[in-house]
Amino acid sequence: MKNRLKKEQRTTTAGKESILSSANTLRWEIGEHVHDSLIESIYADANQIASRAVTLPDGKPRFDFDKKLDSLITSRWFGFPLMFLLLAFVFWLTVEGANIPSALIASLLVDTMHPWLRSVFVLIGSPWWLTGVLADGVWLAMAWVVSVMLPPMAIFFPLFTLLEDFGYLPRVAFNMDSLFRRAGAHGKQSLSMTMGFGCNAAGVVATRIIDSPRERLIAIITNNFSLCNGRWPTQILIASIFFGALAPPALAGFITAGAVVGVATLGIFFTLVVSWGLSRTLLKGEASSFSLELPPYRPPQLWQTLYTSLIDRTAIVLWRAIVFAAPAGAVIWLVSNIHVGTMSIAEHFINFSNPFGMLLGLNGVIIIAYIIAIPANEIVIPTVLMMTVLSTKLSGIGNGAGVMFELNEATAVADVLRAGGWTVLTGLNLMLFSLLHNPCSTTIYTIYKETKSVKWTALATVIPTIMGIVICFLVAQIYRLLFV
Amino acid sequence: MIDPGKALIVFGIVTAITAALFTPKYGLFAQWKRARSGMKRALVEDALKHIYDYEYKNINCTTESIAGVLLISTDEAAELLTRLSAMGLLITNDNGVKLTADGNSYALRIIRVHRLWERYLADETSVPPTEWHSSAELAEHTLSPAETEMLAAQIGNPNFDPHGDPIPTPTGEMPPRKGHSLLSLKSGEFALITHIEDEPEAVFAQLIAQGLYVGMQVRMIDRSNERVRFAADGEEIVLAPLLTNNLTVAPITEEEQRITAPLDSLASLKIGEEAHVLSISKAMRGQQRRRLMDLGVVPGTTIRAEMKSASGDPTAYAIRGATVALRRQHAAMIFIQK
Repeated sequence: MKNRLKKEQRTTTAGKESILSSANTLRWEIGEHVHDSLIESIYADANQIASRAVTLPDGKPRFDFDKKLDSLITSRWFGFPLMFLLLAFVFWLTVEGANIPSALIASLLVDTMHPWLRSVFVLIGSPWWLTGVLADGVWLAMAWVVSVMLPPMAIFFPLFTLLEDFGYLPRVAFNMDSLFRRAGAHGKQSLSMTMGFGCNAAGVVATRIIDSPRERLIAIITNNFSLCNGRWPTQILIASIFFGALAPPALAGFITAGAVVGVATLGIFFTLVVSWGLSRTLLKGEASSFSLELPPYRPPQLWQTLYTSLIDRTAIVLWRAIVFAAPAGAVIWLVSNIHVGTMSIAEHFINFSNPFGMLLGLNGVIIIAYIIAIPANEIVIPTVLMMTVLSTKLSGIGNGAGVMFELNEATAVADVLRAGGWTVLTGLNLMLFSLLHNPCSTTIYTIYKETKSVKWTALATVIPTIMGIVICFLVAQIYRLLFV
Repeated sequence: MIDPGKALIVFGIVTAITAALFTPKYGLFAQWKRARSGMKRALVEDALKHIYDYEYKNINCTTESIAGVLLISTDEAAELLTRLSAMGLLITNDNGVKLTADGNSYALRIIRVHRLWERYLADETSVPPTEWHSSAELAEHTLSPAETEMLAAQIGNPNFDPHGDPIPTPTGEMPPRKGHSLLSLKSGEFALITHIEDEPEAVFAQLIAQGLYVGMQVRMIDRSNERVRFAADGEEIVLAPLLTNNLTVAPITEEEQRITAPLDSLASLKIGEEAHVLSISKAMRGQQRRRLMDLGVVPGTTIRAEMKSASGDPTAYAIRGATVALRRQHAAMIFIQK
């Protein structure tokens, strides 16, 4: 009995060994492409099952309407003009449509609610600094962000989503791909880039449609070069003061629009150049693939689209912006009101950073405004105005230290800025710096959430800032060599 | 205010210094990184790898050959060999040097990391083929055994590196060397490329530039002392015999289809035309290959060219009921039968 057991054991060990050794030789026989063969056989099996179980209705060729529309949208002659017209229409609708609600919200939140809130604080006997931080700082910053940001986003995002839902946007990516391919990017980046014109944070989220890791990172890092709606008002205001005013009144509007469109186009140019550079250097090794599905056209679902784009895009982005803007408002009020010696912290910093600012063709006020307004580009101009008044001791303008304000007339703004020592160079470089600086903190946070990488987040923050500093510096020196 | 002219000059100097420090490949930073890899441990490991490689190929390994491969003087090479024998990794005899059992397994471990890393680069990244080898030369000295096994598991425990070389198993097993040089083929004979040697780098780059890849079918047309004429996937290629030495081939099996004329690629399909997929070129690897197969591009699939983008590229194809746009460069790697 014992012997037999031993014998069996021996034979099984021998059997095991022979199996193992044949497995070892077979390992090298099956070759490199065993996975391919597996996928092929899965498809073959699926085909067989489907051919037995599924019957297709026969009839006229499918997608007749789709084909006609596709041949128009992707045609050599009509494809691009159609795209530009449609996008221009979307932008026009956004800008025109946002004006009235923006003014309404601003008058409600800033002109009506702010004094009321102050009086409530005073009534309940809160100390002056608490009133200042909460009513003048936090409340005003939030009010500004909401009034500038909400209306355009509430118009732009649903329109964009409708186009997406209909199936038009994938065709845009299809048409634009060859341009982006040359820049080492994905055609779908044209969509996230366009979305960035609404809001960079939303644009970064929109890069989820890009399924190739390298091209997605490129799209995320370069999204900041799309002028977002927090920066359009700055561009338009500064362009009308410093460039529109140079031209005869009849042409002023035209010149202003031209300057702003020029800056936005420069942004697209930088998007492509930086994409090109990244794909050949830092991101060279990241995995990459290309395929682009063109779904059939569908009638857009209006209400669902409105709901999802308002909740998913507008509300989330707005909420984040408010969360980030509130502390910024407090900081702005505090640095303007806490005094060290005879001057406030803000004035100390303005004096300290002024030489550096001048070197870049900017000034200390702009530098501090861009540092404390990192949370939201919307509050840059109100901060600049308040700080200019603060540092030049202008009287009769604004509402006191730390209280951001805006002036209804561009000429009034121009007077304040000229009093602060602004020249055409300052205006030009502010426009450039507004295009090329770090993304707002909402966007930075979104980039981190999307990439889960400190490295790429840091890169996306540092690249545009360095570019902005270098370009403003060069423009300033060349301008001074030529014109001063 | 600072004088703009002076400011520009300072800026130019700063830019020049930054460029000198950080230019990829030639900058001081890159050079320092490369120099760091030439340290003692790397030398020992490279020598072992070289000796193993020569033993595997049945070539005699000498002090001179080691000096040549590692780019050190013969004195240094001799010193290195003495150190290796002192470590018990090799023994010296009349014919040159021979690895001990310990030396053998050490060398196999290094080779395993090297080839796994090359495979990883080929399948999971976009690093170009000409840089696989140099990157693996660095990785083989830095990856720990645990990291190596994690990497292997992550990429599905592959058996071959992208050049067609077998990857030693964790226990150090390697199949016997197979295949022979392309030069051994007779005119008209068919074979499959099983291996493309990646050293010297210049030769490898030239072979890659010809579009050659492991798994390609070749047919010898004729050869002389000056040049070798052969068809690769039906396309005629002429190379110097020296270059073809880097190509190893093996006979093809009976059931494999012999390719006699250049294959049509999907890129040649005109709008409205339909074709069956024959195969995806083995040169398309990694994520793009997986993506295509996930979309259902497998042998036998019917594909119809639907429309061109307004800019001419990409082209949209009807694949299994979906419309999918592919770029020309990728479509050119899908072989079809009209």
